[in-house]
Amino acid sequence: MSDQSTAGRLGQRLGRILLMLPYAIQNPGVSVTELSHRFGVAKRDVIDDLNLVFLCGLPGYGPGDLIDVSIDEDRIYIDMADYFSAPLRLTPGEALSLYAGATALAELPDLANAGSLKSALDKLGKALGVDGDAARIGVRFEPAPVQHLATLRDALSRKRRVRLEYLSATRGELTEREVDPWGLIAALGRWYLVARDRLSGEERMFRLDRMKVAEITSDAAEVPEDFDAERYKGAFTGEGETSVTLEISPAAARWFEDYYPVENSYELDDGWRKVTMIAGGDRWMATLMLQLGSDCRNPEPESLQQRARALAAAIEARHR
Amino acid sequence: MRRIERLINLIAALLDTERPMSAEDIRQKIAGYDQPNHDAFRRSFERDKEALRTMGIPLEVRPVPGADVDGYIIPKDKYYLPELDLEPDELAALRLTASAVLGGQRVAESGLMKLSVDAPNTEWNGPRVVWGADMATEQPLLGSLYGALLDRAAVSFDYSTAEGSTSVRYVEPYGLVHRTGNWYVVGRDVSRDAVRSFKVSRIAGDVRPTGESYTIPESFDAASHLGGEPWEIGEETTDVTVHFDASLAWWADQNLAGLPTTTDADGGRTVTMKVARLDALISWVIGLGEHVEIVAPAEARARLVQHLSPFLESA
Repeated sequence: MSDQSTAGRLGQRLGRILLMLPYAIQNPGVSVTELSHRFGVAKRDVIDDLNLVFLCGLPGYGPGDLIDVSIDEDRIYIDMADYFSAPLRLTPGEALSLYAGATALAELPDLANAGSLKSALDKLGKALGVDGDAARIGVRFEPAPVQHLATLRDALSRKRRVRLEYLSATRGELTEREVDPWGLIAALGRWYLVARDRLSGEERMFRLDRMKVAEITSDAAEVPEDFDAERYKGAFTGEGETSVTLEISPAAARWFEDYYPVENSYELDDGWRKVTMIAGGDRWMATLMLQLGSDCRNPEPESLQQRARALAAAIEARHR
Repeated sequence: MRRIERLINLIAALLDTERPMSAEDIRQKIAGYDQPNHDAFRRSFERDKEALRTMGIPLEVRPVPGADVDGYIIPKDKYYLPELDLEPDELAALRLTASAVLGGQRVAESGLMKLSVDAPNTEWNGPRVVWGADMATEQPLLGSLYGALLDRAAVSFDYSTAEGSTSVRYVEPYGLVHRTGNWYVVGRDVSRDAVRSFKVSRIAGDVRPTGESYTIPESFDAASHLGGEPWEIGEETTDVTVHFDASLAWWADQNLAGLPTTTDADGGRTVTMKVARLDALISWVIGLGEHVEIVAPAEARARLVQHLSPFLESA
């Protein structure tokens, strides 16, 4: 067992105790069961924590100094610990994640709780002692089409299939498809719909800004019980995936792996990096190569070079 | 005695005391510091101080009144969460938020737990919509930077620019801004005496307090300083007009609403954009494909063709 994980567990337990004490002090007679639910630990752990607290207190450590814990048929009473009757204030990290999350949610046009969220944040600002300018945090998303957000949230809550007209990055054209929506995700500053494409049977991420039409159908959608939004943080679309290699210049290599699904890479003799990555189809890859311009070379398969040239010629023709 | 008991005793004593306790005081009075010699005590105490600091417990060093020595105290006004009187609907909204944050979820939830200590444990009963906002708040540097911002404590850090050079920067943080999946700290770069933005992921190593304090100019807006789109990040802008063919008119209408737009005879749209970084705009236009055209200025059109040149047949 590493020292760090020991320290992590210790910190976690201490944090829980410093929260559980104020709660139990403010709610005399609270049950072990309730504490166990509220703090997400086994009853056994609650009792262990209480037995530990019972041994602690103020210098002197006599009967009048130690924290007094009594358990009366599952009911808990704590005394002689006034200094633990309020919780520790929020850490900057805790405040920041609530703030940032709330700011993102406030972008939702049809959020029924928008007013509550706003007033909660104002109070949170006071808690941080920086009344007025508490936020000093700007979170900005690419504007998502309001009507699509509303439609998709409705479809998700009613578990209905959705018909999309979608500008596919894989094909560079509008496509029509029916999907079973699984969830809405905001990642990398954009809103995405995670859904299963009925035609291909594959799960995909669809960018809301690329939807021309999103319509609820009368068909029921199949949604997996164990859908886990956490898996989709990277926001890779998963469409038309193939594995390709490309050489990236030293200047672009520094940021490239932060943004694209690189599987592995190594440095070449002249400082360029050869990356193996997942490409979302030939058109997607050709677009990426043109965006990189002189910062990329030697794609494999070689056909990508032809594809990129064709696209470059089409774009150049508009700018001659 | 177990270490966790010693830590609880330490927090209790330093929180309850009105008078800072010297290290010697702590050793003699607080249960758990009965190490056989001074060095062993020092080591234990240093580790404990670090543990408290990591948890965000404000441990301060102050002179002990009437004694020629420094002592330790946890100031009550900095430890306790002030009364917030959150209404049930406000808590529900925050609970919704905590459940929506990916990446920083555990941090958000522990914050929520503190806020709802005097509230009934109501469940969020909204529609079962699964969603999330990946705020990447798991980055520990963000907590440090935000803490510095709240305390108005200037910091220094090692920073690598996009061009690859690394240098130490001295910064007074004015705000934190999230853009397309990245966090930026906006603030005064002390050496350059100018407001700059720094991408948090380019900060190497720790954020160190310099010990200096500062004030933030009134009505400073970090978000607008950074601009919105990648091509807006910069000081001077020029107008660039971009044409969307009729087949993509819906896209421009839907996603660029708010920009000056004209409808053309062919059913397409022409949009005027303020651009500080032409290369970022060119990349964006290429991403939209062959149905989008930069109309003016001529220099921007030439730059785009120049950018594509490695892929064009030489004439």
